Amino acid sequence: MTTASTIIETKSLIKKVTTSEGELQILQPITFSVKQGESVAIIGASGSGKSTLLGLLAGLDEVSGGHIYLDGESLHNMGEEERARTRGEKVGFIFQSFMLVQSLTALENIMLPAEITGMKNPKQRALEILKQVGLDHRANHFPNQLSGGEQQRVAIARAFITNPKILFADEPTGNLDSNNSHKVEELLFKLNQESDTTLILVTHDDELASRCERQLRMSAGELREETKHLKVIAGGE
Amino acid sequence: MGMAFQLAWRLFKHEARRGELTIILLAIVLSVASVLSLSLFSERLQQALTDRSAEFIAADSQLRSRNAVDTAWIEEAQARGLNTAFQLSTRSMVFAGNELALSDLRAVDTEYPLKGEVKVTDTAFGEGEIAGKSVAPGEVWIDSRLYQLLGVEKGAMIEIGDATLQVTEILSSIPDAGFSVFNTDPMLLMSAQDVAATNIAGPGSRVSYKYYFTGESAVLDDYYDWLRPQLNREIHRWTSIEDDESPIGRSIARAEEYFLLASLLAIVLAAVSIAVAAQRYSQRHFDPVAIMKTLGASKAMVRQIYLMQICFITALGISIGVLVGYMLQQGVVTLLADKVEVSLATWYWRPLGIAVFTGVTCALLFSLYPLLQLFSVPPLRVLRKDLQATLSSKALQFVFSGSAVFLLMWTYSQNLLISSILFGSGVLLVMSLLGMTYLLILAGRKLGSGSMGAWTLAWARIRRRAMGNSVQLISFAITIMLLLVVLVMRNDMVKQWRDQLPEGTPNYFVANVTETQKEALKEHFTKNDVQYEQFYPVARGRFVSINDENIRTEVTKEDEEVANEGRQGLGREANLSWGTELQTGNVVVEGQWHDNWQEGEPVPLSIETEVAGRLNIELGDALTFNVGSEVIQATVTSMREVDWQTLQPNFFFVLHPKAMENFSATYITSFHLDEARKPEISRIMAPFASVTLFDVDARINQLREIIDQVSMAVEFILILVLIAGALVLIAQVQASMDERLQELAILRTLGLKGISIRFSVINEFVIIGTVAGLMAALANEFSLYMLQTKVFQMPPSLHAEYWAIAPVVGALVVGLLGAIGCWRLLSLNTGHLLRKMV
Repeated sequence: MTTASTIIETKSLIKKVTTSEGELQILQPITFSVKQGESVAIIGASGSGKSTLLGLLAGLDEVSGGHIYLDGESLHNMGEEERARTRGEKVGFIFQSFMLVQSLTALENIMLPAEITGMKNPKQRALEILKQVGLDHRANHFPNQLSGGEQQRVAIARAFITNPKILFADEPTGNLDSNNSHKVEELLFKLNQESDTTLILVTHDDELASRCERQLRMSAGELREETKHLKVIAGGE
Repeated sequence: MGMAFQLAWRLFKHEARRGELTIILLAIVLSVASVLSLSLFSERLQQALTDRSAEFIAADSQLRSRNAVDTAWIEEAQARGLNTAFQLSTRSMVFAGNELALSDLRAVDTEYPLKGEVKVTDTAFGEGEIAGKSVAPGEVWIDSRLYQLLGVEKGAMIEIGDATLQVTEILSSIPDAGFSVFNTDPMLLMSAQDVAATNIAGPGSRVSYKYYFTGESAVLDDYYDWLRPQLNREIHRWTSIEDDESPIGRSIARAEEYFLLASLLAIVLAAVSIAVAAQRYSQRHFDPVAIMKTLGASKAMVRQIYLMQICFITALGISIGVLVGYMLQQGVVTLLADKVEVSLATWYWRPLGIAVFTGVTCALLFSLYPLLQLFSVPPLRVLRKDLQATLSSKALQFVFSGSAVFLLMWTYSQNLLISSILFGSGVLLVMSLLGMTYLLILAGRKLGSGSMGAWTLAWARIRRRAMGNSVQLISFAITIMLLLVVLVMRNDMVKQWRDQLPEGTPNYFVANVTETQKEALKEHFTKNDVQYEQFYPVARGRFVSINDENIRTEVTKEDEEVANEGRQGLGREANLSWGTELQTGNVVVEGQWHDNWQEGEPVPLSIETEVAGRLNIELGDALTFNVGSEVIQATVTSMREVDWQTLQPNFFFVLHPKAMENFSATYITSFHLDEARKPEISRIMAPFASVTLFDVDARINQLREIIDQVSMAVEFILILVLIAGALVLIAQVQASMDERLQELAILRTLGLKGISIRFSVINEFVIIGTVAGLMAALANEFSLYMLQTKVFQMPPSLHAEYWAIAPVVGALVVGLLGAIGCWRLLSLNTGHLLRKMV
């Protein structure tokens, strides 16, 4: 059961994978919640399970056990099609490798989620947001004609076009130099604040993580809160 | 749906403009263009050849009858829009002054012949020229032999029955004269309007009638359907060009099968290239699909987007393919214009239909599995690039591709046998290759370890990409095998055709040589430097019974006439020969040849297998013939297979000389005279005026001309298929280059020298090309054996040379293409390479 202000809630969430050496549990039971409008950083070393958790929270992957509620909807009970619909309606994504469709222009990439979810006037909305990210002069350029920083700004614009309730960002500055990282970072937090979107940010950049209201650290599949009063949140309520 | 369409169109537009669809588009263009050009060309060529073969029956179809048929039948044909002509034939004595001769009389109407030409000559045995007119009432055209026998000149009057007609031309040939050296009387052509005046066709006379028809084949078929219930098998016989059993008919039929085979192989080549291209296309779209799914696209939406995109690509590919195919075919036909008579005027819709159907079927069926794979890409791939499609059943892919290929082949050829043979060979090839790949991987495990040389890298790469390489190996091998099949079949077929008519093939036959003339004639030929063939004794016998059963009901006059044109003399009137030496081109397949017959045993006889089958004659049966006033009985002691394709006298029945010891034989032989010496023929044969001379040069030239044309056409079809195959190989190498991109970028980044990388890639392709060539040679041998024995009715042969040529050529071509592809990639700088990977 979620409270009105809780946007994400997990209960004893676990993930197991089958390997050649048998079944391997890569996420220990995780229980935590995120409030609407909060910004949360998930930090941790490579292989600690950050991206796996992100995949589950965003409905990209199936849970092996436990519960996930996303804006009141029980994600763990949904099939792939329902999860896709939920993602389209409520979730935005930003990835380390930008994940733009190479055959579409910057403008068309931004329009893509709006068109998929059936928004009205997707082109007009895309042009507005493209202007917001300062790339209106690059609207008809293809991704390979843009710099890394520009591509990530297009990806951010794409993430915000549907006014998502939650934004998942996986190492958004991981592929960028410090100058571009800074620009992208600023843009991300600015848009996040303006649209009152919940931000779940996966990073191993402590500085970037520190800009979030909360920091959660993943280590060997376990999640710990790392705010003023550190507490272990793995292992149930 | 509207959104899916918009997205699909947008993706298609951009990808087409940016050249990202080139490979799959090229594959579809290739499939449509090769199938269209091959079928259009072969259809036009077949039409040309059919027209040529129609000349041998002077029409598209012919109705023979022992009685004049109801005029309503002919009127019905004309009402249906068919052209008709008529010929009456009989044997009749002709008188010119004191000279007389038995002639083969042909009375024709003004429409005769509907196909082919009547030729006349200025001097006896001179070269024939198209008459360009019909024989008019009151006129008669007589052939060179009759001209000599009667000793007449042009303008002379000759008597036929009760009529007197004027000789106005020396007849050289008529299209449907047939080809028989036995029992052929000199020919005479007159107008059908004069028949009544001659009174030769009265009751009791042996007259036969031929009615000729030409027109649209569908109309002819309909007409035959209408006519058939009214025909009496004992009296009437309907013949079409398809029934042509002559050597020419068989050569053309074989060529048609070859065209069909080449087209089928072009379809398979196209299918392979589409399968390769579709796989590559699908892999390139894994990321976009994962992104769309992540952004909320349902499976149905992804399906719609990509199915529509494939439809756009297919439509564009087919349009370009039709254009290219048409131009290609037109170009080839124009190039061949002076060598092969192919009409450019007619446009055939069937090849267009086949090409479009092939394009659609290939594009959709061969993209199906890659597309299913694409649809199954999980959205999680946006976080984990290592995640591939979840649909991984190779068996499903083989079932899809296999059924698609087989269905296409079967639909196109309507020939289950050819389709099954080619498909079976393909399956055998795939199985062998999978086994071979496994062995290669095992070998590579040993060879691929050690220092980082170019060969080591190559082996290591082969081992690592075992599955990918096995698919590549299979597609290379199939391509090489198909090219080998087309090449070898062409070589074998053309060789066999040419062997049929080697230089020095006898162009004259001499019959009615008496025992006393035989040695003198041999001496005379030697003195005049004439190369002659064996002398065969021959006697005309009337076939009376098999055991105690009268054969009258089993062999009709019609059979005899048809057989006379194709196989020289089967019927109640049969040509008998005798001897103890087996003729060349004859093989005893059952029983024993009668060279060690003992006195007291029944007189032995050898019979040709097909006739034996037709008359239901078995070993041990007693056959009775009337020769003159004598009765001859002989027992069947052997059965022979005879090669009728040779232009040598051959016999259905060969007796032991004992049976014929009381008869004085006449002999038949043949000889060759060069073109330059032809004017000498009258002088050479003058001392032997009583023997019968047949000039078959025209017939041989006609045969040779057709064979040359067909061979030429076959060669061009081979070139078309070779081009198609080369394009497939290029597509395959290009597709595999993408897979190598990542590794090349990494090796380059790590600082490995370009030359080492280049050699390692070339070596990898050389290894793959060699193995593919070897496997192709194996599968080629199997399919050729099956095709030659089951479809083309040719003796099977081993093609040892290709076991060496195929691997070498495979290594060279695949290695070269690999080098070109690799050069293109390595010409990019490392930064560009890395960017291409993203």
